[in-house]
Amino acid sequence: MLTEIGLISLGLAALLTLYALGAALAGTRRNDGERLIESARRAAVAAFLLLTVASLIVVRALVAGDFSLHYAWEVSSRSMSPFLRVTALWGGQAGSLLFWSWLMGGFIAVVLAREWTEDRALLPWVIVVTTGTLFFFEILVLFVSNHFVRLWENPATGEVLDKLFAPAGWVLFTAQDGQGLNPLLRHFGMIGHPPTTYLGFTGFVIPYAFAMAALITRKSASDSWIRFTRRWTLVAWAFLAVGLLLGGRWAYDVLGWGGYWGWDPVENAMLMPWLTATAFLHSVMIQERRGMLKVWNMVLIIVTYGLVIFGTFITRSGVIGSVHAFTKSALGPLFFVFIATTLIGSVYLLWRAWDTLKSENEIDSILSREGAFLLQNVLFLAVAFVTLWGTIFPMISELIVGDKITVGPPYFERVNMPLLLALVLLMGVAPLLAWRKQMVAKLGKAIWIPAALALGLTVLVAALGVRQPPALVGAWIISFSGLSTLLEYWRATRATQRAYGRGLPAALWQTVGRNRRRYGGYAVHLGIVLLALGVIGSKGYQQQAEAYLAPNQSMQAGAFTLKFEGLQQFMAPDDRQVTQATLGLYRGSQRLSTLTPHKDYFAASKQTSTIAGVRSTLSEDVYVLLAGWEGDNATFKVYVNPLVNWVWLGGILLTLGTLFAAWPAGSTQRRWSMVLSPAPSAAVEG
Amino acid sequence: MSSVDITGELPHGSPGPSLPAPGEADGKTTVAERRRVKLGWIVTFSLVLALLGLLGWGLYKSSTGPRASGLAPDFTIQSYSGQTVTLSQLRGKVVIVNFWASWCPPCREEASYLEETWRKYKDKDVMLIGVDWVDTPENALAYIKEFDITYPNGPDVGTKAAQAYRIQGVPETFFVDKHGSLKGVQIGPLKAPELHRKIEELLNAD
Repeated sequence: MLTEIGLISLGLAALLTLYALGAALAGTRRNDGERLIESARRAAVAAFLLLTVASLIVVRALVAGDFSLHYAWEVSSRSMSPFLRVTALWGGQAGSLLFWSWLMGGFIAVVLAREWTEDRALLPWVIVVTTGTLFFFEILVLFVSNHFVRLWENPATGEVLDKLFAPAGWVLFTAQDGQGLNPLLRHFGMIGHPPTTYLGFTGFVIPYAFAMAALITRKSASDSWIRFTRRWTLVAWAFLAVGLLLGGRWAYDVLGWGGYWGWDPVENAMLMPWLTATAFLHSVMIQERRGMLKVWNMVLIIVTYGLVIFGTFITRSGVIGSVHAFTKSALGPLFFVFIATTLIGSVYLLWRAWDTLKSENEIDSILSREGAFLLQNVLFLAVAFVTLWGTIFPMISELIVGDKITVGPPYFERVNMPLLLALVLLMGVAPLLAWRKQMVAKLGKAIWIPAALALGLTVLVAALGVRQPPALVGAWIISFSGLSTLLEYWRATRATQRAYGRGLPAALWQTVGRNRRRYGGYAVHLGIVLLALGVIGSKGYQQQAEAYLAPNQSMQAGAFTLKFEGLQQFMAPDDRQVTQATLGLYRGSQRLSTLTPHKDYFAASKQTSTIAGVRSTLSEDVYVLLAGWEGDNATFKVYVNPLVNWVWLGGILLTLGTLFAAWPAGSTQRRWSMVLSPAPSAAVEG
Repeated sequence: MSSVDITGELPHGSPGPSLPAPGEADGKTTVAERRRVKLGWIVTFSLVLALLGLLGWGLYKSSTGPRASGLAPDFTIQSYSGQTVTLSQLRGKVVIVNFWASWCPPCREEASYLEETWRKYKDKDVMLIGVDWVDTPENALAYIKEFDITYPNGPDVGTKAAQAYRIQGVPETFFVDKHGSLKGVQIGPLKAPELHRKIEELLNAD
């Protein structure tokens, strides 16, 4: 019964979405279209409520263990905790698509339920673009991977089928137990990664829809579409970042290869829109301040959104061979049509509104805030392009020379690392630059303190024993950017202190509180500095060692000694056969800790997972894998990952900084209304 | 072709059509500039179409799917332990061809099951071949050691076998009967008891 209600809700949601699309379109064509647009807006909100009902019914089936539902059978099982059963909503492809639609529906409902007083002309077109996108996903959920497919049994033959409705004479079949979520995915990173990724991906539909609405209504000369969507973009961007970090953390903890980032196509698919969105977040500031780069910003949001759907496409269609993308489905052709429509449509709209996007100003000097932003944009796009090129290169090589050539991590790292380091350096300089034109002498005055302090720190690092030139250059750049950003806080706080005579903490609070966008942004910059520190340390200076040890034998890894103390085998309660080694970790003769790497064998699914034993500190992780064993002897693989924890700490700071910058200020800006206030008669254009 | 694609993303980053043209902001456009803008648009549209073409081609290729029937394409691998294995010389045996890579987490999911199956069936008319796809020898050897794999595994030089079988990614496993005919393919990791069942079925068929 519930299944039928869920299916009907899903169908109705799709119909309402289609209605909203049609009504908003019709509303723009009539002079008295106001009521139509109003009803379109309500229909879109109602569609979200119906999607919520459908999702809740699926969650209920997962939690209650209703194994007559094919999806529940596939991703849930009786031995899973209730929490894990809820998260199974995004554990499979069908789950992720419904979840995806639900999130997107939610974003759309929130944006439409806002009070629309300014720029009413954008509203119908925002509805058209967002509901058009949502409708596409609802079609996928309904016809390609439907959640409400049930299991049916032929009573005569005992045959079992998965179908939406029963073939004549077949009866509902309820499985004893489900297969359960893949054990490798039962980790906080993999529980958090899909929702944050989806929030990031779907979030970009909002700025994109506003941009398209601005192009269609030819209001693209004004920056209102940017001001409206600034927060959305920030939030989507932050979720993408969190998704990337959680995915990396999962790989680090669960996959057992000592790293967190492998330049796999699917990882790249997520990194690319994040890079272009970062460029977008910065360059919109120039449009707001100076009325420049209007075309550029349109291009950036189109490229970002394009990369979002491109990423979804290559992950789901199997076009590019990847470890994550082995799920092949009928999504491909439909998605292709969607991508083609989006890209061609966006470029066409840009072309049509070209004349509205003339710049109001010119760049006065390359040495200015604008110039720095522009350079930053170019660098970010260069990294995005290098990554895109490496991702689609196997396809291009196969098309041209008939051999699939995968470029692999070295290509990405060699080309991207210098660009990324240049970005970190620029991050330290740019905030010091003035708008319009920077006097060189003044810049020199502002820059020499962090530059000299950074040099001091670099010498200290060298004195501590780091000798490799790239590491020292990296150390200088990182400390320069970090110090330069901290000095910005310091200068502004001192100024406030002098003006108001407050204590230091109060003055700091007042300073950052008054311009949260700027100081939240600087906190994000500091997060990136920490992240860069972690990446350089762990990617550039990882040490590896491997050894086959008998009990009480020792091995050396970097500055550490590991003593193998024994092997145990036991059954864990959740039907896991655990083989666990105990090792003592020493530096010199001092025992630092005991590490217990283990290999778990899940008898039910015949899967193995290799869990590292890790001693994690701020200076390095010692990461030990039990690679294999024979009798009492075992093979170990050890990675010493310097500074890797700073990757996660930087990620946390980055997230907090974004939250601080994007948090709505005061209650006046948050007005919701389901009734449109009487519109000024000219607000809706025909 | 490749030079066209190199500029593929440049409209977003090049000073082509996307940047305000310095010195010409005051509404009066010269003939030369208009021609430049027009050319910029033509390039932009062609690149969008080229990218879509590439995706469409990839989609078409992947929709033809891996080979699943007919005579199994012949291939030879030099295994990491020095054996030479040629598929066509294994007539009379049921052959399981598994494509994998050391960088592939889903391959790890099935690795123990494959080895366990091999140990169970190696004395019957069954052969398991691991074809290592787009990998480095060090990582591959570490992987083989980690899972204590004893059936022959070797690199797919020039991705010849992968292309002949039209694999979509790894892991993928092809089932070849005693007469050298393909009898199906598994995309993604194998789980118990799929492989046992398939082998029994092929052993019992004539």
